[in-house]
Amino acid sequence: MTVAENLFENLRLELRRGCLTLAVLAQLKQEHYGYTLRKALAARGMEIDENTLYPLLRRLETQGLLTSEWREEDKRNKRFYRLSSEGEVMFDRLLKEWNDMNTAITNLL
Amino acid sequence: MEMLDGYLNAVRRHLPWLRQDDIIAELRANLEAQLEDKEAELGRKLSDAEMEAWLKQLGSPLQVAARYRPQQYLIGPGLFPIYWFVLRLAMGWCAVIYAIVSTVEIVGNGLGPGALAGAVAHLPWVLFINAAIVTLVFAIVERSHAKIPEKFAQGAAMGNDWPHAAVSPFDAQRDGRKKPKSYAQAVAEVIFGWILIVWLLLVPHYPYLLMGPGVVILTATPYQLAPVWWTFYWCVVALSSLWLAWQIVDLLRERWQERHPTRRLVRQGLDLIPPLVLLAAPGRVLVVPKNPADTAHAAALAQVNQWMYRGFEVVAVIVLLQLAWMAGRMAMEAYRRRLAAAR
Repeated sequence: MTVAENLFENLRLELRRGCLTLAVLAQLKQEHYGYTLRKALAARGMEIDENTLYPLLRRLETQGLLTSEWREEDKRNKRFYRLSSEGEVMFDRLLKEWNDMNTAITNLL
Repeated sequence: MEMLDGYLNAVRRHLPWLRQDDIIAELRANLEAQLEDKEAELGRKLSDAEMEAWLKQLGSPLQVAARYRPQQYLIGPGLFPIYWFVLRLAMGWCAVIYAIVSTVEIVGNGLGPGALAGAVAHLPWVLFINAAIVTLVFAIVERSHAKIPEKFAQGAAMGNDWPHAAVSPFDAQRDGRKKPKSYAQAVAEVIFGWILIVWLLLVPHYPYLLMGPGVVILTATPYQLAPVWWTFYWCVVALSSLWLAWQIVDLLRERWQERHPTRRLVRQGLDLIPPLVLLAAPGRVLVVPKNPADTAHAAALAQVNQWMYRGFEVVAVIVLLQLAWMAGRMAMEAYRRRLAAAR
């Protein structure tokens, strides 16, 4: 990887990091377990690798933005996540922030 | 499945102890579902080679487990600039204090070059311990901040008050030093330089100009200064005259605003001469009896000489350290400018 490619990759990851949280919160208005959430996000164009998504779910739950419960589905125990009430408030605030930024960037371009 | 079990066991080893089972159970459910999808897509089970390739693609167990750790850094980006500032400050002061203490110890106890080499060799270890302590303190602050952020809100607010908190009197003084010297200031320096030299030349004839009412001591005590003090005295006069000549030349050439870092360094180096003259006194004798035959107070005189000599040794070391500090700063500044120019 060249220096320019490396730099682009770092900037791209930096740009994506905040958006991933927003995407996950948006998708978890409906209940999902880790793998189906990943598939649902990928189906809408937001690819996230396992090593990023699964720990992110844990972190968001620790922060009180998600709730989770273990439940059996297809003869297998899975942990299902959903947006908490606190998470809904945070999601609305973040979405407004994202929209403002999006508008500002669009104006700049 | 055996390969997946082995992989998950390897991940488990690096996970936070209390959450291992929970995380592994969730990770297993997710990976097994993913594996089922893959096999359904292929219409068969994955071969060992395909399984191995898939697990490799997931990442090394250490990397996977690391993502589940709450804090990945010792000192975060928010605290790091303050840590870096404090670390540099602490290292600098530690080196200075260590140098002074070691010098006083070596000079005071009359130790040889071996002790000096030992002190120099020990310096990196002292700095390392110092850096470790500072780092440990900041790591504790970082962890505490992550756990109880409300307790640190006040500190963060103080940090935002930057015009008062960050600009120290030292910074203000440094800014002031960058101001060019005014004409009035340059003339005043020359006038005071003249006054100083005249005063110096009069002191041997009128000692009260130096000692005031304390001049009676000179006649009351049976001691007097050794002849080496005359050499010291003329060195001081010569150096003061040299500085004055430099200032006059600058004034006449209308160059009083120019800064002369090299000249400052030379001056600092020449300022070493007077204390070195006293340190070269024959027999380390700086005070002698007025009457050479007087041996009544020989022991007390020897004690006085010993302490005066040590005092000038300390003075010489301090001037030498100032010189080294100045030379170091000049070298760093030159290096910085060269790097900046190269860019």
